[in-house]
Amino acid sequence: MSSTFSQSPWAIETREVSRVYQTYVKPEGLANSLKGFWKRQHKDKIALQATTLQIPKGQIVGLVGANGAGKTTLLKVLSGLVRPSSGEARVLGFNPAERDSRFLRQISILLGQKNQLWWDLTPHDSYALLAEIYDLDKTAAKKRVHDLAEILNCTHVLETQLRRLSLGERMKMEIIGALLHEPEVLYLDEPTIGLDIVAQSSIRKFLEEYVALKKPTVILTSHYMDDIAKLADRLLLISQGSMVYDGTVEGFTRKTESKKLLRFSLAEPLAAALPIMNLHTLPAGEQNLSLQVTNEELAPVLSKITSLSGVKDITIDERDFEDVIREFLEKESRLLPSRGAHQP
Amino acid sequence: MLTNLEYRLNFLTDAVLQPAVTSMIEVTLWFALFAGAGVAEINGFGLNAYLAYAIWSAFMARLTSTWMYEFRMAEEIDSGSINSLLTRPFSFFEYYMSQFMGYKTITTVVSLLVPLLTCWIFDLTIIWDRLLPALALVFYYLLVVQTLSFIVATLAFYLNRIHALTVAKNMGLWLLSGELVPLDLFPEGIKNALTWLPFANAVYIPVGYMTGRFGPDLFLRGWITATYGLIFFGLLAVLSWKRGVARYAGTGA
Repeated sequence: MSSTFSQSPWAIETREVSRVYQTYVKPEGLANSLKGFWKRQHKDKIALQATTLQIPKGQIVGLVGANGAGKTTLLKVLSGLVRPSSGEARVLGFNPAERDSRFLRQISILLGQKNQLWWDLTPHDSYALLAEIYDLDKTAAKKRVHDLAEILNCTHVLETQLRRLSLGERMKMEIIGALLHEPEVLYLDEPTIGLDIVAQSSIRKFLEEYVALKKPTVILTSHYMDDIAKLADRLLLISQGSMVYDGTVEGFTRKTESKKLLRFSLAEPLAAALPIMNLHTLPAGEQNLSLQVTNEELAPVLSKITSLSGVKDITIDERDFEDVIREFLEKESRLLPSRGAHQP
Repeated sequence: MLTNLEYRLNFLTDAVLQPAVTSMIEVTLWFALFAGAGVAEINGFGLNAYLAYAIWSAFMARLTSTWMYEFRMAEEIDSGSINSLLTRPFSFFEYYMSQFMGYKTITTVVSLLVPLLTCWIFDLTIIWDRLLPALALVFYYLLVVQTLSFIVATLAFYLNRIHALTVAKNMGLWLLSGELVPLDLFPEGIKNALTWLPFANAVYIPVGYMTGRFGPDLFLRGWITATYGLIFFGLLAVLSWKRGVARYAGTGA
């Protein structure tokens, strides 16, 4: 296949790259199971719409979207795990689908929900194996493991079987494994998922320092806003397999304008609908109420509410990141599928 | 290979206990068979010859069994855990072949004690000069049978739940290798045809050569059939792998 890419200045570049999966549709019941022996229905699911993007060397890109939006599919295409149904991709000048060993030596993919080291081995044994696989100098690899483990504060678990480590310790081990060969391109798929706040913060801080020092090109997916805000130079929002936002994190924050959720109760239900500052209206007959307000609206609205008789239990919550993303994606695309959509 | 040595009980069961139990069953079976038949020879061979064949064939059959690695390879593809291997600069085939050969080498050294001890206890005779060449042929054949397992495993790219195929393949090999019964018990034409297939190198040819059932001609044929088997299955493996990876959806990650 002749390439339309020539001497690309980009670390990662795609042109109209898409991926469609075919799935088998089986209606409920035994009769339909038997029918499936000779007649099967299939349907196509577009996991990634035609996507064109360029990522320069050293840029940290945050890739955000709902479950099933196409984030992981894009990472799989860019790492050579799956072939695109159409279009072309180039990473460091290589076609990922060819899985050239020179390409594979320069990338690393960290899947936060999967073990990539050997479950039955100690991290030390796994790293020795990885050093062989990547043709690394054994002494240099050992030193690198030691240095990374020191920074991550986990030298004490290097000789314990992976299966016996906590989730946070395992993730640290996976990170060392992913960085051992100093990849030029790093795909981080939910690196902090399921971790407690301390472990999240520790890994985030480590990655922040690592990318500042080594300057790899990174694509990071995460459901945690802090991961994206602290690490990413650029934000890509993906919905139903399409890019719906490509810009800076600051631009995104300005666009979505952070809102707060104000909840309170009244001693008696409201007798009639009550307008608040011509911005909101509290419905009649309700006793437990909530309002979404901007930072600017918060003080005057709060003042108005506290002046009501019998008001109690006032709470102010930051909205969940998922809700902010969902609202944004709904506004941008009007296409967001229901939560928990199946990931192919 | 390291993962298989990680658990002592698992290793000792696989390398010592199972071969020992299998040998005891074989000894009991052949003693009972000859006692029940009340004859000194069956098809021109006595109890000693059948016992030697049974003990060494059980050992060789265990040595050439690949189901464990076949199951693991298929599971890696089916579950998507192959993703972590596909993104590294090495070959999935070589990765599993090296694990398989390494593990077989170590287990062979340990479990060889079982047939040697059985031969000593029951005074079974084999041609000792032929033991190492026979083992060399079996190790050459391991390349063939592991390649065949690789082909079966790659079917997981196309189908879910392929374990039934592994069972069916193993049943076929059980018969074609001479493990179930010595190929001498088949009619001459069928026996001759089966010795032109590479699968006889698992049991019949190496064990028959060691126990003196035939001379170097058939042993040489074993090397030839293993070689064409390796070429044939090797080409099929490349084809199946390339087509499988091209349609792989990376499910599970």
